[in-house]
Amino acid sequence: MKKPIVAVVFGSRSTEHDISVLTALASVIKPLELSKKYTVLPVYIAKTGKWYVGDEFKKIATFQTEDLEDLLAKKQPVSLLFDNGLRLIERGRLGRDVIHCPDVVFPATHGTHGEDGELMAICEMANVPYVGCDMESSVIAMDKILAKQVAVAHHIPTAKFVSFTKIAYESGSEEWHKKINKELRYPVFVKPAHLGSSIGISRVTHKKDLANAIEVALHYDTSALVEEGVENLIEVTLPVMGNERLHPALLEEPLLKSEDFFDFDTKYMQGGKGKGKGQGMSGGQDKEAQGAQGYSRMPAELPKGLYEEAESIGLAVYRALGCSGIARIDMLIDSKAKQVYFNEVNPLPGSLYAHNWSRAGVSTVNLVEKLIKLAEERFAKKQNLTTSFSTNYLQQF
Amino acid sequence: MQVVVDSLMTRYDRGGKGKVVVLLHGWADSAAGLRTLGNALQKNYDVIALDLPGFGGTQTPKQSWGLDDYVQFVQHFLKKIDAGKVYALIGHSNGGAMAIRGLADGTLRAEKLVLLASAGIRNEYKGRNRALRILAKAGKLVTSPLPIQIKKKLRRKVYKTIGSDMLVAEHLQETFKRVVTDDVRADAAQITLPALLIYGELDEDTPVWYGRQFHELMTDSTLEILPGAGHFVHIDRPDDVQKAIKEFL
Repeated sequence: MKKPIVAVVFGSRSTEHDISVLTALASVIKPLELSKKYTVLPVYIAKTGKWYVGDEFKKIATFQTEDLEDLLAKKQPVSLLFDNGLRLIERGRLGRDVIHCPDVVFPATHGTHGEDGELMAICEMANVPYVGCDMESSVIAMDKILAKQVAVAHHIPTAKFVSFTKIAYESGSEEWHKKINKELRYPVFVKPAHLGSSIGISRVTHKKDLANAIEVALHYDTSALVEEGVENLIEVTLPVMGNERLHPALLEEPLLKSEDFFDFDTKYMQGGKGKGKGQGMSGGQDKEAQGAQGYSRMPAELPKGLYEEAESIGLAVYRALGCSGIARIDMLIDSKAKQVYFNEVNPLPGSLYAHNWSRAGVSTVNLVEKLIKLAEERFAKKQNLTTSFSTNYLQQF
Repeated sequence: MQVVVDSLMTRYDRGGKGKVVVLLHGWADSAAGLRTLGNALQKNYDVIALDLPGFGGTQTPKQSWGLDDYVQFVQHFLKKIDAGKVYALIGHSNGGAMAIRGLADGTLRAEKLVLLASAGIRNEYKGRNRALRILAKAGKLVTSPLPIQIKKKLRRKVYKTIGSDMLVAEHLQETFKRVVTDDVRADAAQITLPALLIYGELDEDTPVWYGRQFHELMTDSTLEILPGAGHFVHIDRPDDVQKAIKEFL
């Protein structure tokens, strides 16, 4: 029997391009090949935005040499067709085109032009099954303001915040400052609405530094939010898998790697206090193991009852945002007040958080197989929906 | 930490308490290159180290810049972050040339100046540079039929062989050409504040005689030559450099 073709799409015009290459190669392509159940089609989106296919993109060495530019210059980018599934057309010599028709798309992109719903939209247009969160939930998850608004509407606790668009802020910055100073307690975190990692995020302890921090956030994005800092902070993150029936992995507590004073970014974000990487930072250490993004403790060592509370809030957020396939929910805990706050959702976690799944009993091979199955199930359900029907409106017009 | 200065996202580090000390890195380096020195100084000073435009985490200017543009940028940056009164400016290599220019024309103010293997003496190789320019033009002509990627590789090799920093930061070629042709000896002659000049004995990029010339030109300077050290004198001999700076400040 012919093996299903899985197109693993990665790279793209994103600040997280390199992380995406690692996710694709180590956490998706390798386990897919180990499973021996699929034919892997690596689809690399270069920083220029051009799409390429080829087995050379399965090797990390391809991305580690200065020759990548030369390789891409020699190679023909593929063109896409969206009728009857996704078609990737490689222009061959003498007019002999090679047409790749993946059965499933496995997005392994992070950040903009991929994780944010754009790649999912292409899959929706092509009507092809794809792994992970769907277009709508990806869009919501990658917009920190929208995600928090959805959480509030579902009575899920989240740190108090004020949000605004660049246009609104620029037409009355003083008013916004007054509103922030009245409604929020310092320190506050200023964040661009969309970008991942810690890009453009500032921790502000004094009113006088607020305007500069907002200017930084709005340099990166068309909207931003200012959020109250959580005291006695413990940061946790929960990878979740599933469509209707949800399967949480272990609650993970990222820890800091270094207390080096002149490592200013770290110090700045953590506010000079012990551990914790600030508000809204993914990453961190494992007294016990090193994960994809640094060190962390798994499962998180939390006061009694808080672990269950955080897990339940994580699952509630996953449902509220309409996530499917896989996502990772970041939460902030005030350890003294024993209060868990939803922070943000990562709809395509780096390395799929395979280190955590593996600790939770799901091997990397098992993980990618399960995710493909979930993608197929969601696709099959969607096919049963009526999305077009014949009318005679135009004849009546 | 980040701040927007003149529409450029600018990354900088700030730490420690005391009088303000500002670190300016050299060409194709970043604040990270001065981290060990910054770490040592922040025990007694409020240390500010920024990535200059085009380097580290700071955006590249849309147009090509000259030394004066960089100096002005530093001034705007210090104002934007409300740095307060600067006690000392410490500049390595091209950062040293920036400090000299800024202090001479009043764009920057400080009470003390430290130059680490400072650049700023630019036109001593006129003949050599003219010959290289002719060679570059001839090379361009000869290699013109070759594919662009091969041309790029050849160019990188040639510039590396002649020891030029031009392609170290390829995105700043035009800026590089402007910066390295700007001589600051006339500016150095105007500097009256106490200055400490540290040069590495084995430095080939900014040789010891640069230090001697600046030392002669400045009114109140001390010159230290560290044996066995190269251009990155603060990395080659960190303890000696830190000790000298601490005593001087």
